[in-house]
Amino acid sequence: MQLFLILIVIAGGMGLSVEAGLLGPLGTQVGDLWATFSIFAVGAALTFLLMLFFSPRNSASFFSQPSWQLSGGVLGVVYVVILTVATPKIGIAMTMIGILAGQISKSLIIDHFGLFGTPHRRIDNRRIIALIFIIIALAMVAQG
Amino acid sequence: MTFIMILLAILGGVMLSIQAAINGQLGSKLGVFKTAFLTFSVGALITALLIFYFEPKHSITLLDVPKWQLLGAMCGVPYIVIMVLAVQRIGTAVATVAVIFGQLTMSMLIDNFGWLGNEPIPFSIYRVIAIICLGIALYFIYSSNKTTNSSSEQKLTRTFTSD
Repeated sequence: MQLFLILIVIAGGMGLSVEAGLLGPLGTQVGDLWATFSIFAVGAALTFLLMLFFSPRNSASFFSQPSWQLSGGVLGVVYVVILTVATPKIGIAMTMIGILAGQISKSLIIDHFGLFGTPHRRIDNRRIIALIFIIIALAMVAQG
Repeated sequence: MTFIMILLAILGGVMLSIQAAINGQLGSKLGVFKTAFLTFSVGALITALLIFYFEPKHSITLLDVPKWQLLGAMCGVPYIVIMVLAVQRIGTAVATVAVIFGQLTMSMLIDNFGWLGNEPIPFSIYRVIAIICLGIALYFIYSSNKTTNSSSEQKLTRTFTSD
């Protein structure tokens, strides 16, 4: 059961790369913003259905939340546009490793300063080591 | 050019992880699907506005391309659902490593074979070294997540809203 779940999660990760792989060529054909729109429009439709049928019934309203917490979609657009623009130029692998590097370094900073309401945590040396190896990997892939 | 694109990709990762931190907060109050819906619908509205005012005219539209090219979100949304189901059973540490592993493997495959209409980028010795480095990095991410895992429930919601 454990192994099966791990395989499913790996498949989920593969899905993210396939998504990036579809975005690049689509963006060069129909325009980067249209390609981005296809992701968000289909995604909104799918998640609306998921929300409608599977969301807990009496969950809080969007409007009772602080407005800055509703800004996730704005950042998501930047991310998807970058995927669309970058993958045809530098390939999927390098894009993904770059994104990983950004994620790890930002999560280090978020944890360290306790930004965005997350609990303050000490910087973990292991994450710094991980980041260094990711940067080396990035340099290697950039070699050829 | 390559360098600028790498910087852009890193910036994308930064955006993604800020988004994950914000959505993690929201997800703990609204639930994962409601949060994901908000993210996608706000994203769709913003891109629609940008298209309306800034996108130049193209001879091909989304309706002209083969339908399989429109399956991107169908690959991204299952990730959210899978993480919701899996994280509580296998833990954040394992789930994070498994996702990154899947992502990197598939990205190398797509590059190498030029799948989905991408420019092929053949496998090389540099990429082998990169994979070894990434393996080591994954180990450290795993062990770092393993210790912080039990201490924070935040982390949990954070991972599965990270798309």
